[in-house]
Amino acid sequence: MSIDVKQISKTFGTFKALDNIELKIATGELIALLGPSGSGKTTLLRIIAGLEKADHGEIYFHGKDVRTEETKDRNVGFVFQHYALFRHMTVFENIAFGLKVKPKAIRPSPEKIKAKVHELLKLVQLEWVADRYPSELSGGQRQRIALARALAIEPRVLLLDEPFGSLDAKVRKELRQWLRRFHDDLHITTLFVTHDQEEALEVADRVVVMNKGKIEQAGTPEEVYHNPASVFVLNFLGNVNLFHGRVEETKATKMYVRPHELTVSRNPISANSIKAKISFINPAGSVVKIDAQTSDGQLIQAEIAQEEYKSLKLKRNEEICLTPKNITYSEYDI
Amino acid sequence: MATRTENPWIRRTLIGIALLYLGLFIFLPLVVVFYTGLSKGLAVYFQSFSDPAALSAIRLTVLTALIAVPLNLVFGIAASWAIAKFDFWGKNLLTTLIDLPLSVSPVISGLIFILLFGAQGAFGPWLMDHGIKVIFAPPAIILATIFVTFPMVARELIPVMKAQGNEEEEAALTLGASGFQTFWRITLPNIKWGLLYGVILCNARAMGEFGAVSVVSGHIRGQTNTLPLHIEILYNEYNFTAAFAAASLLALLALVTLFLKSIVEYRYRAELKAAVRTENV
Amino acid sequence: MRKVLFIILAGFIWGVSVSDIYAAKKITLLNVSYDPTRELYEEYNKIFIKHWQKKTGEAVEIYQSHGGSGKQARGVIDGLDADIVTLALAYDIDSIAERSGLIAANWQQRLPQKSAPYTSTIVLLVRKGNPKNIKDWDDLAKPGILVVTPNPKTSGGARWNYLAAWGYALYKWNNDQAKAQEFLKAIYKNVAVLDSGARGSTTTFVERGIGDVLISWENEAYLAVKELGLDKLEIIIPSVTILAEPPVAAVDRNVSRHGTIQVVDEYLRYLYSEEGQEIAAKNYYRPRSETVAKRYQDQFKPVKLFTIDEIFGGWQKAQKTHFADKGTFDQIYQ
Repeated sequence: MSIDVKQISKTFGTFKALDNIELKIATGELIALLGPSGSGKTTLLRIIAGLEKADHGEIYFHGKDVRTEETKDRNVGFVFQHYALFRHMTVFENIAFGLKVKPKAIRPSPEKIKAKVHELLKLVQLEWVADRYPSELSGGQRQRIALARALAIEPRVLLLDEPFGSLDAKVRKELRQWLRRFHDDLHITTLFVTHDQEEALEVADRVVVMNKGKIEQAGTPEEVYHNPASVFVLNFLGNVNLFHGRVEETKATKMYVRPHELTVSRNPISANSIKAKISFINPAGSVVKIDAQTSDGQLIQAEIAQEEYKSLKLKRNEEICLTPKNITYSEYDI
Repeated sequence: MATRTENPWIRRTLIGIALLYLGLFIFLPLVVVFYTGLSKGLAVYFQSFSDPAALSAIRLTVLTALIAVPLNLVFGIAASWAIAKFDFWGKNLLTTLIDLPLSVSPVISGLIFILLFGAQGAFGPWLMDHGIKVIFAPPAIILATIFVTFPMVARELIPVMKAQGNEEEEAALTLGASGFQTFWRITLPNIKWGLLYGVILCNARAMGEFGAVSVVSGHIRGQTNTLPLHIEILYNEYNFTAAFAAASLLALLALVTLFLKSIVEYRYRAELKAAVRTENV
Repeated sequence: MRKVLFIILAGFIWGVSVSDIYAAKKITLLNVSYDPTRELYEEYNKIFIKHWQKKTGEAVEIYQSHGGSGKQARGVIDGLDADIVTLALAYDIDSIAERSGLIAANWQQRLPQKSAPYTSTIVLLVRKGNPKNIKDWDDLAKPGILVVTPNPKTSGGARWNYLAAWGYALYKWNNDQAKAQEFLKAIYKNVAVLDSGARGSTTTFVERGIGDVLISWENEAYLAVKELGLDKLEIIIPSVTILAEPPVAAVDRNVSRHGTIQVVDEYLRYLYSEEGQEIAAKNYYRPRSETVAKRYQDQFKPVKLFTIDEIFGGWQKAQKTHFADKGTFDQIYQ
């Protein structure tokens, strides 16, 4: 089911959370709403769910204006950051809830409900916790149950609010991949909110970068990473080094280079090579991170492959040359 | 570990004072009540309850509680929900009003009703014309009791509801539950201990209220006397044994209330501990 | 949930209906009286019910309410649905007539002896053996004597007490009003506790053992001695004291609304009958009937009495001078 967000604005008191948001989401897309705190991403998600009301604008589900529809009629599956599992009910009852509260006319029979709950538990690979209470589960398990619960009502759109935010790194990574595979199987239109750019880039079909209530850029992970539409997007997605470039009468230039787009050598390679002294090496990880400082005090971060590091035999306080492979320019008036 | 460095004598003195206080003001009076009530023997003790005036007083007390407590339960839940979960104009006013009966003298509470419903009061003539008896009749007693006990439930629930937040209710809404279903299946079970606690307190106060009820009662023997008022009458008739026998009923009520309260507190704390563990995982 | 509501509703209906059953089957009367008359009317009501049953075959139920005379009058004005008022002083019944129009202004002339079927007086009650040697009113003003008397603002008995002392002072100091006020001031300086009603003061003195002397209705004093022991208390008759004439009246408007004119009429008249007077005398009220008085002459000692009309010009004047706001009581008792 497609979602069409038209000119949505929302203000809380004096704080403008959303400023004229326009967004089109196609059926079956997995969209990440990415941005820092206060960017409005959670507010947008809640407005789509009906948990908040926008001050201006419309939302269309498959062409139908849902502004008059209450949350309970919108058939959205919502997964909360802190799971919001019903603490006084068992896992089974939690998942069955959405089916049990359906109006008598369309409510499935107890047998059907039981079957569906077990089907979902199987889907999230947690059949064995059916009789436990949420307090007896780990964070990762709870999140999966929350997802199963949301899916029980066969929602036409799935909304997840920082679903992996309260979990530790390893569990987060696992669940990320799991969500991706999951979406590939079920193809429900899914929106999830995150502040973790790595997560957004890894999982989503499209990333919507938000800042201060506005959409900075909406595009595929490749697009937003390699062709950032603004300095903010560039900065937000991955580390970046900033250099000051030419200064003319009325214009100045800033140059952005990502750490992995710097070639490290002992001698200069081109006119753009920058001399710097290694201040810190972090060899642990998939790439080696090198911090270096130029003679005028600028800090530069570079990333190189493990093999390269080994062959160069770099040590702290050594002098190296850093050459940018790819530069993003940004001009501004002074 | 500051608690370990203080003089053990200070600790003993403080505990001693606390025990002395409890003993003098709570234990001793309780003992006196039962002793005096039973001083003429069990037969006389039970006889004092078979007196028609006593029976009528007990019945009126029970009736008052049966009406005041459920009404305040409903009101308390509604007010707490509004205050804990929503922001609206007049919210602070409502919160202050809820505390009003606790800060106002019970006698004033009673007088308010006389000013409103007495023959010289705002609604008095209208009530008289329609033959409706409020003041100096059971309805006024029930109204006065409702007034002085209505904070009990609300004050217990507001912090509980505030601490629990909105997320479970929102989750229920997204799953398709109506407002009522959300309230019945999600909100209520979560507040059940706070609710029980509030009801127990409310009931104890409703049955024991003296000041406000005394002002609006009219003291008509056999009609508008509650148990506390009846005790005063017996005492004034030099019938001390019967007075204390009736008082022992109220004392028993107090003991039962304390007992129930302890049980609820115990279960409540256990659940609270479990819930806190939930948040920290 | 529905079950609980049903039980509550049933309980409510039951409670209301049970209290109405009596109203439907019998005639009910409400006698609003002052504090010390509990025993008097308990007995009187019993014989009156029998009398009415014999006379008319009708069953009648009589409810009593007792409290400080002023307080009870206030109650009737505010809607306490009395058929009959039997209060401590004419002024209280006058105020009902004036402020609510429930009683006709000429009520006092409708029954013999200014509507006072029995009288009483004010005496002094002391501990057995009279350890503080209290012989007359003077002794109450002596320093170190603790006096117990109720509050004139709420209690009718208290007002009789006050005026009795004042009257004595006028006798002693030749009608010197200023000296009398000084005398009352000295007495009230010695007051330990100011209860709201005469019965409350009696309880304070007798049961709680507070004070050296109780200024009290004569009937109260005798009742206290009877209930609590000749071995503990003693009655002192002062050299001169006031004749108290507690009146009775029908509350006309209430009576016509209830349709109880005939039974109320008879209730009041029967107080003057020999049977009624006998009950009064038994309860230590001085009967108007000479025949009954003769039978009880050992019980009632001869006393030098003055009336309120002689010394104070009637209740209206006395109330205004002494008990109204800024009257002498307010002046002497801060």
